[in-house]
Formats: sequence, C-alpha cells, structure tokens
Amino acid sequence: MPSAEIRSGGLGWPGRLGRLQRGEALQLRLGNLYILPTAFGVLWLGGALLLQVVGIQTQRNGPLLLSFLMLTLQLLALHLTHFNLQGLELRCGRSEPGFAGEALIYPLLARSRHPRNAIRLRLAGQGLSSRAAQPRRIPAGTSSLELDWRCDQRGLQAPGVLVISSTAPLGLFVCWSRWAPSARQTVYPARQRGPVGLVARAGTDADAVVAGGGREGSEHWHDLRPHRPQDSQARLAWKALAQGRGRLSKVFRDPGGEPPLLTPAAGLEPERALRHLAAEIWQRSRRGEVYGLVLPHLSIPAGQGQRHRDRCLLALAKAPSNGTLVRHG
Amino acid sequence: MAALTAGSVGLDPTWLLGALTLALLVLAALKLMEARDRGGRRLVALLQLLVCGLQASQLPDLLPSLVQLLAAVLALAGLLQLESGLATPWRLLLRQSLQVLAAALPMALVLFLLVPRLDPFAALPGPSARAVTGLSADLDPGTIATLVEDDSPAARVAFGDDRPPPPERRYWRVLVHERFDGRRWQRGDEEEAGPPEVGGAGSRAAAMGELESAAGRDQVWLAEPSRFTAVPWDGRSGSADPRLRVEPQGELRLLRPAIERRSYRLRPAATALAWQEQPPGPEALSLPAAANPRLLSLGRSWGGLADPAARVAAARAWFQAGEFRYDTRPGALPERDGLDMFLFEQREGFCGHYASAFSALMRAAGVPSRVVSGYLGGTWVVPVGGASFLELRQSDAHAWSEVWLPGQGWQRIDPSVWATAAAEQGPAAATARAGRPQAGSGWRWLQRQWWGLDMAWSRWWLSFDRSRQEALLEGLLGGRSWALGLVILAGMALGLIAALVPWQLRRQRPRRDRVARDLAELLHLLRPLGLEPEPGETLEAFCQRAAGIHPVLAAPLRHLAGCHTQRRFAAADPQGAAARQAADSWRRALHQLKQARRSAIRQVRECVP
Repeated sequence: MPSAEIRSGGLGWPGRLGRLQRGEALQLRLGNLYILPTAFGVLWLGGALLLQVVGIQTQRNGPLLLSFLMLTLQLLALHLTHFNLQGLELRCGRSEPGFAGEALIYPLLARSRHPRNAIRLRLAGQGLSSRAAQPRRIPAGTSSLELDWRCDQRGLQAPGVLVISSTAPLGLFVCWSRWAPSARQTVYPARQRGPVGLVARAGTDADAVVAGGGREGSEHWHDLRPHRPQDSQARLAWKALAQGRGRLSKVFRDPGGEPPLLTPAAGLEPERALRHLAAEIWQRSRRGEVYGLVLPHLSIPAGQGQRHRDRCLLALAKAPSNGTLVRHG
Repeated sequence: MAALTAGSVGLDPTWLLGALTLALLVLAALKLMEARDRGGRRLVALLQLLVCGLQASQLPDLLPSLVQLLAAVLALAGLLQLESGLATPWRLLLRQSLQVLAAALPMALVLFLLVPRLDPFAALPGPSARAVTGLSADLDPGTIATLVEDDSPAARVAFGDDRPPPPERRYWRVLVHERFDGRRWQRGDEEEAGPPEVGGAGSRAAAMGELESAAGRDQVWLAEPSRFTAVPWDGRSGSADPRLRVEPQGELRLLRPAIERRSYRLRPAATALAWQEQPPGPEALSLPAAANPRLLSLGRSWGGLADPAARVAAARAWFQAGEFRYDTRPGALPERDGLDMFLFEQREGFCGHYASAFSALMRAAGVPSRVVSGYLGGTWVVPVGGASFLELRQSDAHAWSEVWLPGQGWQRIDPSVWATAAAEQGPAAATARAGRPQAGSGWRWLQRQWWGLDMAWSRWWLSFDRSRQEALLEGLLGGRSWALGLVILAGMALGLIAALVPWQLRRQRPRRDRVARDLAELLHLLRPLGLEPEPGETLEAFCQRAAGIHPVLAAPLRHLAGCHTQRRFAAADPQGAAARQAADSWRRALHQLKQARRSAIRQVRECVP
C-alpha cells in the first residue's frame, strides 16, 4: 500500500525511489520517470472488481460495462499520467540571493511542446507550503517556474532534491522524477540584530567601540539631496515633500565624521557574529549610510548603495566557516 | 449527487443490494459535505461511480440507465476537475470527461463483448415480494361479479421481423392451474430459488427444445414486475439463457427477482418442447365428486366416446348450441355448485368461467385437463422511433384450457371463443386488436413512443447475455476458442492505440487563437485570386498590394487590416468588450470581402481568354 505522501501526490515514496538526476537541466523521459498507482488508484481497482462481482452475481450488463470501463480508464490513465510529464524540459534559472532562514525563490525554466496540467514541484526536506501543494499548469513553449524554499546555512547552496510529480488526469497514478538541480543560490547569513564591532582608525581607540545594533547616527542627518530611485523610502524627507520642496533624501553623517568599518564583534560565536553583521549591513543600507566591512580574509572599503550592500553580504555568505572571524592586531 | 438520488427511485431498500446502494449514496453525500481535501473528494467521485454501477444492477431500464450515465459522466468530470483545478470551466470539464470516456470505451467494449461471462457465484436472497397487479395464483371466476379492466402494463414483446404473430399464436401463457377443488383452480407452489438443472445440459436442451437457426423470429420480452417468477411466453420458444427454465407443466420461469422488470430473449424451437409431451399426472383428472353434479353428469355422458378428441368436439358442440354469451359482468356465482349455475342457468361469463367449466367437464369426461392463465392478443404499437412491439396490458389477461390428447400431447382449447360476444369483448376482438397498429393519443402515445425506445434498448442491450455472447464468440472464432485470449489482447492493443494516438495528436497540434484562425481564413479566401503574402510582408502591406491588383477589394481589405491590428495588438483582454467589438467588425468586413471577391473572381475569368 503506498504511503500517505503518495496519496497526496507529494514525496513519500517518490522522494526516495528512483535514480536521482543531477545537472543544470533535466529532460523527463522514459528512463528517468517512475510511475505507481496512488492509494486512490488501488481503491479504484477495488471498486472495479466489486462492480465486476455484482455484475456476475446479478447477470446485469450495466455493472459489467462500468467495471470494464473503470479498468480501461485505469489503463488509459497509466499512459496519460506518464505522457503528462514525458518530454518536459527543466533548466535552472538565474537565482537572486536571499537570507538564511527566510523564504527563498529558486527559479527554473520549463520548456514544453504542449501544455501540461497539474504538475507538482516539491523540494525534498521542505515543508509543504501552499504554493508547493498547488498543481501548476505549464503552458506550451518556455515558461518560468519559481520554487519556494528555505535554507538555514549561508553560502552558495543548492536546493536539494526536487521531485516533479503529476497525478493528472484522474489521480489514479502518480508519475515522478527526482532531480538535484546543480545551480547554486547565494544565501546570506540570517539577519539577527546584535552587537557588531567597528574597526579602529588611526588616532582613535576604536577596537573598543561596539556598535549597539545600528542606532549610531540614525538620529543625526546632515544634509538633504535630491532623492534617487535607489534611495530607501525610509530616507525620504517627508516634511520637505509636504512643504512642496520636491522629493529629497536625508543624508546622514556618522557622528565621528568617518564612515564606520564593520567587523565581527569580539567574543561572539563566529556564525552569530556574521548574522549580526548581516542585520547591521541591511539596516545601514536601508538608512543609506556609508559603511565598510572588514573580515579576516578581505576588507571592503566604505561605500553605500545596493551594490555595495550586496558585495558585503556576499562576503559574509562566503566567509570561511572555520577559525576566528575577529581580526587581531 | 442529485442525478444519483434521482436514479435511486425504484430501488428496494429491503434487498441487500438495494440497501447497500442507498447506504453508499448516503455515505457519498456525507463525505461530500465533510471533504476538504483532494483525497476526500476523489473518494466521493469513486463512491458515486460505485453507486451508479449498483443502480445499474437493479434498474437496468432505459431511463434509469440514462440517469446513471449522466451521473457517471459528472463523477468523471469531478475527478478531472480535482486535477486540473477548480477554475476550469464546466463546459471544458464536461468535454474532457466525454473525451476520456470516448477514449476508454472501445477497450471497455472489447472486454465487455469478449471476456467470457461467469455464472453467479452463489444464490443470494432476492428482493422481497410486494404488492403488484397482475395474474393470480388462484383462478376463481365464480367470486367475480364484474371483471374490472386493469389497464396497467404487463409486458412488451418485440419480434425480430417487426411483425406481429398470426392470430392463433397470440396466446401468451404464464401460469398453469392444475389443482381443482370444485370451485377454484390453483397453481402449484412456486419454488423461490432455482435449483440446479437435473440431468445437466442434455435434459435442459430437451426441455427447451432445439432452437431455430434463423434469428428472424426472435422475441425480446420485457415483463413488468409481478408476484411470480413465471413470465409470459408463447409455449413454443426456447432459449439458451441459463436463467430461463421451462417447468414440466409448461410455465416459463425466469430465475430473477419477480419484482424487477425482467427482460429475456426467446427463439422459436424447431421441435416440440418437452412440456407439451409431458404425460399428465393423476391431478389432471382429479375432480371433487360432491360438487357440480350436473356438470359431472354431462361430462360423464361424453365419457362414453372412445376418442378423447371426440369428447372435446362434443363439448364444443354443446357450448356452441347452448347460446353462451361472453360478458365481463356476469354477477357472482353461488358458493356451492357455481359451475352448474354457470353452465345450465346463467350461461354468461368471461374467460375464467369458460376455461374453468370446460376443464372440469373434460375431467368428468375422462380427458386430462387444466386451466392456463396468461394474456391474449395485445396491442401492436409502431412507434416513431425504436422498435415495433406488442404491448400486453393487464386488461389483456385471459384464461383458457389445455387438454391432453394421446399422440398430440397438451392441446390448447379456448372455450371462450364458442360464446357470442359484444363487438369489443371476447377473444376474437382481442386477437383482432393485435393485428393492427395502434398509435393512441396524448399521454398513451408518448408512453408508447418511449416504450419503443425502451424495447430497442432491451433488444440490443438488456438481452445481450451469456448465450448471445457465446453465439458472438462462435461467429468470431468459429470454434477456435484457444484464440480468444489473443483476440482480446489484440482488441485491447488496438483500442489503446486508437485512444492514445488521437490524444497525443490533439495535444501536439498547435492551437491557434481566434485571431490567427481568422487571418488564415482571410488568406485562404485571397489565394484563389493569386494573392499570396510574400516573405516578411506585413498584413497591411499585403492588403495594399492586393487592393492595387483588385481595386474592388480595397475597402474591405483596408478595414480587415485595421481590425486585425486592433485585435492582435490593442485588445488587452481577449474576452473584453473592445475585443468583441473588433471581432464583430472583422466579421462584417469579411462578409463584404466575400461579396467583393465574387466580382473579382468574375473579372479574373473574363480577363482569361
């Protein structure tokens, strides 16, 4: 008897059975597609046999014909369910980075000669989100698909085993294939508010300075400048806008006068220090502040904007996991 | 669910199968209310299909079958909807479910027609009897003062050659009454379950007789529910159906629950059936000595004649000379010596009186006799559609006698024909009615049209049983039964190919939208004028070029090019009002183009020498 997960068209057996395909692309064909009756299919067969017995016992044509019809529908469904997946091509798309512990979107490109109904895409080990539970319709031609997933590890991560399954058209069989897409997605450290270190500059004693969760300088704006699209809405000078002076952005200036260079806080467990840095960088970037990043293996000079932020976060994602992150000396 | 509920009307809840069907129906309804996920709803669809099948086993007639078919298609559409999403339009779902059904049907028919049928595994209790109108096990005409005309249907029979039988063959026997207590004729007890045939196939063949090879006189019967498993027949036909059994006294019993509407197929036997030559037992001569002394005396007076046939002839002469009248309101006869009263004083009665009195007289004369009740005549109905049939109603009920004549066996004698009758009464009128088509009017007409379809359904569907299947296989394989498995496999393979190839082709065929189809139609219209778009040429440029060649087409072509641009590029919503307006505009312009095109074609022809 197939497991409950097969019944739901989810993973269960399909998640474990069948040869795992690897690579950037997958074409579904006879060699990598597997098919089994669902629990409903087994019940259906039982129903057909029951009607066969009733037909024989009562010597009536109606239940006999319906019983044979149910059996042939099952035979037909075996092929139709297989056809629904056979020939479909999937290819990894270009993924956007995201934070660990938060929802990520893994893009795929699907190519099909004809429309396909009720295709389910589910990543092994991921919870059954509402979108993953919904069957998708893949139109003819090339279309993009988005997989929801979560990852608790930073770095360049692959989403794991993707199970592509379908029970269409009648739900009597589940046909599936297992694929581990090889394209990796950048996962930044999870954002966690907490203390970060600031690198001392010449003439200051600053390794002792500990930023308290990004409050520094947020109250003291220095100037106004014309608002740019890449500027955060949080920095928009609403008062000036209300006074009819146009869209202006507040320019903050660090009280110390020099842009801070963020570094992992001393005394913290390294991964946690990275999580604090990720949150700090995100906050500072939202406020439009200028900052730099200093890690043991690389330093990023002070800057601002989205590209600078992404560069810093990427450095955090790729930071070596062994050894200390605190720079000494 | 509504279709299934409607289809359950007529089920007998006291029967195991009926109760099971209703229980499953209730279960499906409860599950439907409770089901929130796909699995639960799938289960509901399966339960609905099972209920359809169980209903079909109990209500196989045309109307219930149509309701069952509708319910099955809807259940299938529900299953498809579960997979393709709730937003799928119901028309599309219905079309898809019909496509799936059509794809599976050829294979199902192969299996249905060719897979050998099994005998029932065990005798299950049938449905309980309930009050139905019809013939009675006891025939006691003396207690009936007035014969009430019950017009409810009794049976219908269609003939292979679509012609009613000759008048002398319109006696349809049902019950045989052999026990006589001086007043009433009683029938032997009916065994409920059909015991196995004694003596196997050989004795069965003797009982049913050798069947005629020609199927032209096949009879397809549809008998309404009754109290008895005995069903109407002509006494001369046989059947290879194992559910049919001819009793030694000449009753045909169909081993199915009597409260069902039963259908069966008969074929005339080439030789006399065993019941006709079954020698009479002592009961066929038993006559209470204390009742009806004058009848006894008259009968014994004929007993002196050596030849039993001469005694029958004497009785006939006596009846014909006695100025008997056929009357359905003769009044009740006294409890004691009622037949004496009928024969010698009242001399008025209906078929029961005559059959009863004549049979008693024959027994007194030493000729074994009995009373048979059944139907006489019927109404020949030629419906607009469907099969012509002979309709028997309860008002066609009739009783006659059978006497045993050495060397001839049991012979039918209908003493009612010796009495004079009013214009529309009596056996002569009944047989005459059967000879001419009756159409009727109003409700009766509609009912007969429906019954015509019902008869066609019975002839082609209900009567396809094991015997017909064996005949089909014999015709198909000609005794090479070893090839049956191969034939079934080949049939299934062909059915599968026939189902899957069109399915795949339909999927892979690029589906053009409406605008593309309209554009293709436009290009098709212009092609006979020698106008073909060049590679890379836009529609506007092509239309301008065409208008230059055929100025008569200029206006509609300009309009069509504008419409196409608007439909293809400007309409955001293909179903919106703007798109509909553009489509209407396209149609009008296309109509103008077709008119202009005719004159352009004429011009082209005139230019060609």
